[in-house]
Amino acid sequence: MTQTLILIIEDEASLRRFLVPTLANHDYQVLTAANGTDGLAMARGHSPDLILLDLGLPDLEGAKVLQSLRQWNRKPIIIISARNQEKDKVQALDLGADDYLTKPFGAEELLARIRVAQRHTVQTAEETPVLEYGALRLDLERREVTVDGVPVRLTPLEFRLLEALAQRAGKVATHAQLLNEVWGPLAAGQIHYLRIYMGTLRRKIESDATRPKYLLTEPSIGYRLNVD
Amino acid sequence: MPCLTLILSSSNEERPLSDQAPAAADPILVALGSDSWTLRLVHTGVRMARELGRPWIAVHVAVPDWETPDEEEQARVWLQEASNLGATPAWVQASTVSEGIIEIGSQRQAALVVMGTSQPRGPWGRLDQARAQEAIRRHLGVRVVAVPLEPSPPGTHPVPTFKELLGIVPAIVMLMGLCAVFAMALDQAVGFPGVPPVFALGVGFIAHRWGRAFSLPASAGVLVLYYWLFASAPFPYHTGDWTNVLFLAGTLLLVQTVVLLVDRLHQETRALHRREAETLLIMLLGRTLARCTTARDVAQVLVERLQGLVRARAWVLTPGAGDTWVQLPETPEAPPSPHPSEFLPHFSDTARADPFEPLFMNGCSYVALAGQGGAEGLLQLRGRQGKPLALEFWGLVQSLAIQAALALERIRWLEQAQQARLDTESERLRNTLLGAVSHDLRTPLAAIQGAATSLLLPDPLPEASRQDLLAMIRDESERLARLLGDLLDLTRLQSGVIQAQKEWQMLEEVVGAAVQRQEARQGPLEIRMDLPESLPLVPLDGALMEQVLINLLANAHRHAPHSPVVLRAWEEPGSVQLEISDRGPGIPAEFHQRVFDKFFRMPHELKDGGAGLGLAICGAIVDIHGGSIWVEDNPGGGARFRISLPLDGTPPAPLQPESLPLILEGPP
Repeated sequence: MTQTLILIIEDEASLRRFLVPTLANHDYQVLTAANGTDGLAMARGHSPDLILLDLGLPDLEGAKVLQSLRQWNRKPIIIISARNQEKDKVQALDLGADDYLTKPFGAEELLARIRVAQRHTVQTAEETPVLEYGALRLDLERREVTVDGVPVRLTPLEFRLLEALAQRAGKVATHAQLLNEVWGPLAAGQIHYLRIYMGTLRRKIESDATRPKYLLTEPSIGYRLNVD
Repeated sequence: MPCLTLILSSSNEERPLSDQAPAAADPILVALGSDSWTLRLVHTGVRMARELGRPWIAVHVAVPDWETPDEEEQARVWLQEASNLGATPAWVQASTVSEGIIEIGSQRQAALVVMGTSQPRGPWGRLDQARAQEAIRRHLGVRVVAVPLEPSPPGTHPVPTFKELLGIVPAIVMLMGLCAVFAMALDQAVGFPGVPPVFALGVGFIAHRWGRAFSLPASAGVLVLYYWLFASAPFPYHTGDWTNVLFLAGTLLLVQTVVLLVDRLHQETRALHRREAETLLIMLLGRTLARCTTARDVAQVLVERLQGLVRARAWVLTPGAGDTWVQLPETPEAPPSPHPSEFLPHFSDTARADPFEPLFMNGCSYVALAGQGGAEGLLQLRGRQGKPLALEFWGLVQSLAIQAALALERIRWLEQAQQARLDTESERLRNTLLGAVSHDLRTPLAAIQGAATSLLLPDPLPEASRQDLLAMIRDESERLARLLGDLLDLTRLQSGVIQAQKEWQMLEEVVGAAVQRQEARQGPLEIRMDLPESLPLVPLDGALMEQVLINLLANAHRHAPHSPVVLRAWEEPGSVQLEISDRGPGIPAEFHQRVFDKFFRMPHELKDGGAGLGLAICGAIVDIHGGSIWVEDNPGGGARFRISLPLDGTPPAPLQPESLPLILEGPP
């Protein structure tokens, strides 16, 4: 397997200085761009396998860069953003970003997110009908869910919700994405439906619904199916 | 016809007031109406109360279906004015005014009744008023002082209609005939000296009753009559006695001159009274305006007065954002107003000859509300049928406008002063903040800088020390990041940048997210949770409330690292209660309030504790949720934090599967 090529679009030199050696040391090939225009050009020129994109760029809005990238590029994109930009994060995720990291972040967290994004690409490529996360097992074809081998009875809606989360396993799914995929476009904005269903789903799958292991909450953004 | 002939003739005599049988503390009862004449009654009430040293009651008798709601509102304004001037206000419902006065008069044991009489309409009107006064006098056994309102003003007889003329002219002719007969009799008895006084009396009466317009022709008529009756045949002995004719003419001229002078005197007296009334009115308005604290109050007061006085709807326009006005009071029928910039050229001082002249545009009259520091806004008046404001009101409206402008100016200055105080306060706060922050920022930075530079020294450190220093850099930078995040949050919360984005949330989800985040930060938590499944959805901002819980959990962890935390929630009518208790050292009662202050640290608290922001953030977040947070002693030791969140708004409809747009089977 060839080395994974990662493009970092980030304007702050100090952050690039931290990212480049860290990633290189973990067998990634790294390219850097200091602004959106260069970033877009390099994404076209080098077809990286994964892109780390800062939302606060000097020349272009992060969301604009993301939109341009997503017009032709299906590769994973991880957003790097400053704190307290929940709205921007949700917008980026809804525009097709795969995941986000909040500054400041540690090296372990970054590497874990990169691994998840890559695994996801691999999994979708194989179209695996059976997914396993720890004790949780999901058979998408036979529509069966088991925890520790014990079958769990889910209503059709609950199953669709779990399925929607599993399709993004390890990554965050926004409220809007889940509502759209499970209830359809008419349910937009009815987040409390989602919350109530997530509550019942947790009670069926988690051993303690208030301390979930699989169905994690990303406040103000959405949910994430934990794969670790 | 708009009536601001505020006051009135001095000829109406108020009988000298004497204090008779009633006890000295019995009040004077003054019956008020709703129109502008009422001012006269208020004025009389004040004066009589002072002169007699008695309290006074201002009463309005509301007769069903007699007054419009507007008039009733105006009557209340007058009552308010009267009570400002020391009266006890009263409002009575009765089928007639006299009944109402009798009712309240006997209730309060009035010593004297003051009421207004209007210009009677025909002989029956006069009789009605007299009867009503008599009834009151009989029932209460007290004197009734009638204050004439709308008197027929001398010297300003209205131009008679043709129909009235048909009545007046024969009456004058008959009167003159009567005078002629009487004069002839006197002439026979005493000779010529008896003639001029008779005619002078007649002409004087005509002037008084119907005005100078009739007395002049009547004088001419008298001369012709005299010449024809006395100075020619069949009274030959007077023939050629021109001296007598001239003497009579002189007498009549004298009468005319006297009538003219008396008229002038009356007019001046009336003007004096009117000015006196206006002054009182302006003083009253000034007093009311002095109590106003907002521009809206000022507008309300001014508009009410103007409606009663000049019978025009009024609005106050104050400059708004951009080239617009803020129109007060906000009534749906408010007419549109041109943009401020359109007025500027019209209100420059040199543009108009009469500074009192209101500007008339698009069916409304505009008067500048100019205080000492320039224009505060405009007064917009819409008269009946969109006519311009009548000339006679210009001065009065201008005076009221000045009063209102001064009030507006005072309010504006007050607001500016308040803003300045706030600015100073926040400046002071910023300085304390900077002082506290710079210390808290420097400490971790110093550690990071020290560790990094020693790692970079040419002599390599032993591996264990290297690892130690590196871990320290990580920990200190995390602490720094947390501190900066907290500062940012608190600043934005307190400046109002962050609003609670309330959504109907499940509490267990928010708690779960907070616990998960906190565990990621400092390892597994020993925590016991009691969240009943029956808890309702709670309207809250998930991200913010998670922050509150994280801060409380972190506090518990820091002060009671080895004891379990108990997290409970339950529903109460109208609210949800959340409780986090620990078994740590607890918080002394004297600090229960202050722990929520910015940068508050308990005495003897460890140096590496928090910066004293966590609980301040909790307080600010719960505050913007409309809830409350407090701390109490945990029975058995430790601290117990309580949060009460209101369950406001309409909860979402209960979930019914069939009400949802379901896509049950198969992938889309």
